[in-house]
Amino acid sequence: MSDLDTQKRPSIFERKDVKQTVFFWVIFTAIIGYVGATAQARSMGASASETMSTTIHMIKVFTWVAAPIAGLVAAMAMTTLIGKIHFGDAPPEEADHQIRNSPRLTATWLVVSSVLCLFAVVWGTIVLQNDNAALLNPKAMNVNVTGQQWVWNFDYVDNGTVRSEDLYLPVNKPVVFHVTSRDVIHGFWIVQMGIKVDANPGYITTTSATPNKIGIYDLRCAELCGLYHAYMQKKVHVVSQSDYDAWIKSHGGQI
Amino acid sequence: MTTMMEHSASAPGHSAPKRALIERLNIFTAFGLGIIGAIVFWYLAKAILPANTDGSYIKSNRDQYVLFSMIGWLIGFMTGIGALIGPFRWLLGKDLNHDENMFYAGKDQGVKRYLRYTTDHKVVGIQYLVLTMIIFFVGGTLAMLIRTNLAHPGGGWLQPQTYNAIVGTHGIIMIVGTIIMVTGPFGNFIMPIMIGARDMAFPRLNALSFWLIVAAVPPILSSFFLGGISTGWVAYNPLASQAPPGMDGYIMFICIFALSTMVAGANITTTVIKMRAKGMTWNRTPIFIYGVVASVALALPAFPVFFLSQVMSGMDRATGSTFYNTTGGGSGWLYENLFWIMGHPEVYVILIPAVGALMEMAPVFTRRPLFSFNMAVMGIAGISGLSVLVWAHHMYTTGWAPLLSAPFMLTTELISIPTGLLFLVLIGTLWRGRLWMTMPAASIYALLWNFMIGGITGIYLSDVPVDGALHGSMYVTAHFHYTLMGTGLTGALAALVFWFPKMTGRMFDKTLSWVGFWFVQIGFNIAFGVMFFVGLAGQPRRVDAYAALFSRGNMITTGGAYLIMTGMLVMLYGVISSWRHGALAPMNPWFSKTLEWTVPNPVPLENFDVLPVVTSDAYGYGKAKS
Repeated sequence: MSDLDTQKRPSIFERKDVKQTVFFWVIFTAIIGYVGATAQARSMGASASETMSTTIHMIKVFTWVAAPIAGLVAAMAMTTLIGKIHFGDAPPEEADHQIRNSPRLTATWLVVSSVLCLFAVVWGTIVLQNDNAALLNPKAMNVNVTGQQWVWNFDYVDNGTVRSEDLYLPVNKPVVFHVTSRDVIHGFWIVQMGIKVDANPGYITTTSATPNKIGIYDLRCAELCGLYHAYMQKKVHVVSQSDYDAWIKSHGGQI
Repeated sequence: MTTMMEHSASAPGHSAPKRALIERLNIFTAFGLGIIGAIVFWYLAKAILPANTDGSYIKSNRDQYVLFSMIGWLIGFMTGIGALIGPFRWLLGKDLNHDENMFYAGKDQGVKRYLRYTTDHKVVGIQYLVLTMIIFFVGGTLAMLIRTNLAHPGGGWLQPQTYNAIVGTHGIIMIVGTIIMVTGPFGNFIMPIMIGARDMAFPRLNALSFWLIVAAVPPILSSFFLGGISTGWVAYNPLASQAPPGMDGYIMFICIFALSTMVAGANITTTVIKMRAKGMTWNRTPIFIYGVVASVALALPAFPVFFLSQVMSGMDRATGSTFYNTTGGGSGWLYENLFWIMGHPEVYVILIPAVGALMEMAPVFTRRPLFSFNMAVMGIAGISGLSVLVWAHHMYTTGWAPLLSAPFMLTTELISIPTGLLFLVLIGTLWRGRLWMTMPAASIYALLWNFMIGGITGIYLSDVPVDGALHGSMYVTAHFHYTLMGTGLTGALAALVFWFPKMTGRMFDKTLSWVGFWFVQIGFNIAFGVMFFVGLAGQPRRVDAYAALFSRGNMITTGGAYLIMTGMLVMLYGVISSWRHGALAPMNPWFSKTLEWTVPNPVPLENFDVLPVVTSDAYGYGKAKS
């Protein structure tokens, strides 16, 4: 990008500092992209829903998209660092030029950053629309979630009057959560499904997910809610449809 | 000043008894009168206010007494420091005479002027510097308590209530510390000299803004004895209305601090617009000035809203109104909106002057002109403009307005464009420069590194679906520490070392500055770099206990925090020892071209004998091509 002048003055690539920068740029981009994407995806752990898989994918792609920019900044800074560096109390000699601007570089920079920004916004909006559409899925089951200091209650409204403190969900079935609170604001967060919405007193907020893997997952409060906020954690049991039906029946609900 | 002189000439002789009053007022009388005021107002409130009999759990006499008493403290303190002498004189149709103004400016008073209502901008700058260090010391101690407690997964040795109070106080006190850390010391001391002015436009407002912050500190510290701020620094309602009277300390603290910020903002903005030296056109105004002005100009719309939100919060507690109470027709979302309308501009209030300071130093330490001055200005202006339109990205997951998520995602991600310009200016200036490796120069590198990480993680968080996974987790904590601390504090520490010679007349010890720099930067990246990963793995914020799977990450973060502490203590020692017996500084140790280096050490009372005339910008470094 710094080398836009290339077309006009081909000799620029023969300059030592430019060669160094390009070399560093390639190396740094690869390192930043690979390490950033892999390390972040790894610590997010196993995904238990499509939403979470998309989120992990987005973080990976955003990292790779940002890597060339970060790599270029690092490469240019590094080239200066290994170049004419000066220690001591007296200043070094003045630089051998008085360049104050480069309209081409600035324009390129602006265009590239605008395009990247546009990409992030458009992709984010598309995924957001998919998430919003899932809230309106008529086939989804409904669970009412009520937070209060410092427990969660889950009402399986499609199955009669079943209530539990741990969340039970059948695998591969879309579910919409209707979330509210009885006292202060809590944050309803199923970690491995990548969904979160606040529980507000007096209002009902919604979020949805489709669990796609049988297992036990974590539900945590994501909004400071007082004394035992840290302990307001429960488990989410994603089970097969038949196990779920059996669990509902054993708790007095209908299928 | 000239009008004052005419006034004194016309009315001599009247000054003697009143000067004596001015001379007697200082920080000690202020604290004395403040405490008396607090006690008097407490008993007045008790005598006058009707007892609360309706039994509502929100409204209580306790909160009324505490709030009244803190108002009494503020009035007593400001009277005791002498802030009311000028306004009182105006009520009598008079004004201060020349001698009194000179006394106010701190003429011939030695160290005592630092303990008085002194209007000289250099005194105010030093006062801000010391206050910032005290705030960081308190906030840093609280941070170390938090990290020590979190070294062990099972909720260490602090009770949950104590822990929550420490988290809340650490948050708000550090926010205030970082807001004032650049515009306070350097915006007051350096900025007027840099633009070639003799003082600020409103010197008395300058003193007022400083002493208001001092008056705000006891309320926030007293909250520890009143049950603490157990709500985090955001103090969301309705949790805040449940909180003990420590919350009233928070409310008063914010109200007073917001007043101070508004006063300082009006003062600095006016100074820069009206008092630049002859010939200092906007194109020749140093970039640091732009940073400071953008910062305080952003605070001007933001802090009145903060003030308002806290007044309403206090009314809910003390008078039983229901602004934020759903059962009474209010809404917690109202508070969240008001809070973040302040809260998002506020992070740029912190960030921009720190980046501006480093952009000012970049040409000095690369010995070449600042690259693309226009883009630097546009970057600052663009960030400032957009930052008032993005507040609801803190509220993606609150459920307040899901339909607005997409527009707020757009405005938020647009900020990456002007922010990118700041990077362009910095690397453009480094490019083909001759790097003079000092601690401030290294800080440019540290800023690029930290700000890059903080910026890119900000892009993930601005994306609504990704935020659904990351909001409220330690990832967010790590992200904003990378921007506010990794970027802001790095810039402020560099500014301290850079301008220390002008402010104290002595050089900052070179070795200590390097030792402090490396401890802080390495410790910071260990502590908060690892914090991203525990956040990704699902550790929520503001918890005093966590699942065993996060224990290794938290252990490493705590280790990093101790390195930061070591580094900050080294810097503190560096400030004290260099101030007391550092090497005497030459007039212009960095061979910089801005105006503040053209005045002698120590800087004389009105800075310039003859006001300078500016004929070019301050970035004329480098050899001209022959």
